Amino acid sequence: MSAEAARQPAAGPIVDVRNVRKVYRRDAEEIVVLNGINVQVPNGEFLALMGPSGSGKTTLLNLIAGIDRPTSGEVIVAGTDVGRLSESELARWRSHNVGFIFQFYNLIPVLTALENVELPLLLTSLSKKERRERALTALKVVGLADRAGHYPRQLSGGQEQRVAIARAIVADPGVLVADEPTGDLDAKSAEEILALMESLNRDFGKTIIMVTHDPRAAEKAHTQKHLEKGVLKA
Amino acid sequence: MKFLPYILKHLRRNWVRTGSTILGMAVCIFLFCTLRTVLKAMDDARELGSVTRLVTRHAVSLVYNLPLSYEGQITQVKGVKRVAISSWFGGSLPAKKESQDKSAPDGGQPDFSKFFTNLAVEDEPYFAMHPEFSVPADEMKAFREDLRGCVIGRGLAKQFGWKVGDTFFLESFIPPYRRREGPFEFVVRGIYDADKVREPAADDRVMYFHYKYLYESTGRRVGAGLYVVELEDPKQGATVARAIDGIFENSEAETKSETEAAFRADFLAMIGNLALLLNSIGLAVIFTILLVTANTMSMAVRERRTEIAVLKTLGFTSRQVMGLILAEALTIGALGGGIGLGLSVVIMRVMTRVPAIGGFINGFPNFGPHWSVSGQGLGIALFLGLAAGLMPALAAYRSRITEMLRQV
Ligand SMILES: Nc1ncnc2c1ncn2[C@@H]1O[C@H](COP(=O)(O)OP(=O)(O)OP(=O)(O)O)[C@@H](O)[C@H]1O
Ligand SMILES: [Mg+2]
Repeated sequence: MSAEAARQPAAGPIVDVRNVRKVYRRDAEEIVVLNGINVQVPNGEFLALMGPSGSGKTTLLNLIAGIDRPTSGEVIVAGTDVGRLSESELARWRSHNVGFIFQFYNLIPVLTALENVELPLLLTSLSKKERRERALTALKVVGLADRAGHYPRQLSGGQEQRVAIARAIVADPGVLVADEPTGDLDAKSAEEILALMESLNRDFGKTIIMVTHDPRAAEKAHTQKHLEKGVLKA
Repeated sequence: MKFLPYILKHLRRNWVRTGSTILGMAVCIFLFCTLRTVLKAMDDARELGSVTRLVTRHAVSLVYNLPLSYEGQITQVKGVKRVAISSWFGGSLPAKKESQDKSAPDGGQPDFSKFFTNLAVEDEPYFAMHPEFSVPADEMKAFREDLRGCVIGRGLAKQFGWKVGDTFFLESFIPPYRRREGPFEFVVRGIYDADKVREPAADDRVMYFHYKYLYESTGRRVGAGLYVVELEDPKQGATVARAIDGIFENSEAETKSETEAAFRADFLAMIGNLALLLNSIGLAVIFTILLVTANTMSMAVRERRTEIAVLKTLGFTSRQVMGLILAEALTIGALGGGIGLGLSVVIMRVMTRVPAIGGFINGFPNFGPHWSVSGQGLGIALFLGLAAGLMPALAAYRSRITEMLRQV
């Protein structure tokens, strides 16, 4: 992990969302999910995004992660206007710049923990040995090096989520986005995951944007923002 | 290919489904290859022999010889260009190389594992009417000048490592063709090449020697095994055949002459239908396997929607994800095809050793695994895999991450 590099103060915000609108069209009906969102996230920030169900949290997170495009406005992450990239450029960009953590972990069941973590590295030119080493390092960071050979079904929910976090950080992206990462976990496991994310933010300088319904989870963040009916409230 | 373990692990996840699909594919390719091989062997057999030639043999059975006096009479028949005696010698190499050694007075037992076709022919007319066999002119001259000389096919020469000038001994198992002095001695005077383009089934593992040698050595008593008759005009085959057989009707040795064209016509009608039947079975099987494999692939991909979304989120491009699915389908095709091909090769090997069937199959000059058939079989397997994977792969290519993650 290039923790030093990531901790360098950036010139501007690492995430810059400007006047973003997201509209879904269903037949003649228009559903405005995001209506003029502006948000700047400085490098090294730990931001919690809250709001009622259906308020557009996931939608905003997907825009920042570059897996969706805004209807209008700009999403600039790590200096790149995500909306301008082609489909394949965007895929490549994602693999270098964002790590995604899902509510339901979404590990690949046929692969071991180590292989799951290694997966993003298959897109790099690293040798097999280097890939293994890097994946193992990431597993060490989340405290699961001893489970490298285990399959997802042999792990608890909390452990699965830690493997998923290892997968998100293995390619050393600057930004981590997490959509309700503790939503499916018991209190104790949730606590561990949050501690891990705090550590990634503090010790490795990762900028984290986390969607959550849980006020205790949100407390761990430096900043909280509330989304309501497609509009951000501080 | 660093993605291979990933693909194989997926195939292993649902190994019952993968296995049965591969097995189905294997059976399909096995059937295809075996049917095709049989059809090809029949095709080649049908092509064998020129329309310009007739064969006149003893009406009762091939084992009876025809009188030598017939040759002149056949030559007289209108429409006949040339006649040549061709006698199947039935000789094989004696077990011991030095079989004429005085210490082994009976010449040793013939070694049937080294059996090959050897024909006593009248060289001039015979080679003149078989243009598919080519012998260098100087070798042909040397052959004609040596009573013990023989001409062997390139394949035979390779099999035994024989060169021009080599000598070997043959002993026939047919009593009248055996002689008191022991096996016949032969000198290789020429090696012929068989033009497989002119005659797809032209056999290059036959040995030809002088009928005169056989005749002189056996007390001038043996007749002609059969007469090969060259026609002036291929269209007159039936007429000439009837004319020849007419001469010897009610004689002690009646003949049976067959134009290869007539033989072919019968054979074609029969094989044509058989081929149609076999081909439609093959097509039906291939189509079924396509459906089975396509079903397997679409099930495999449907239950992996989230996974595809995850791969794309991690930075796999749509093209790469599509490639992974196609590679998975191709792997099924390759495994099934390979197994099916192997199975058909094994079965064909085994069949040639089964007593009754083996004799029949070995009667086809070109029976056995053939690269063109194997290539076709493997090609079909890969094509089936690809076709089966195409729709799911395209679906994965087009799928949008956000929508797939939503439908968990
Ligand atoms: N593809 C789509 N087509 C139509 N409407 C959509 C689509 N995707 C999302 N929406 C709508 O956008 C709105 C916001 O969805 P989003 O998933 O962002 O909410 P959320 O804040 O993440 O909710 P939750 O807390 O339940 O996860 C919802 O009303 C949803 O129905
Ligand atoms: Mg959501």
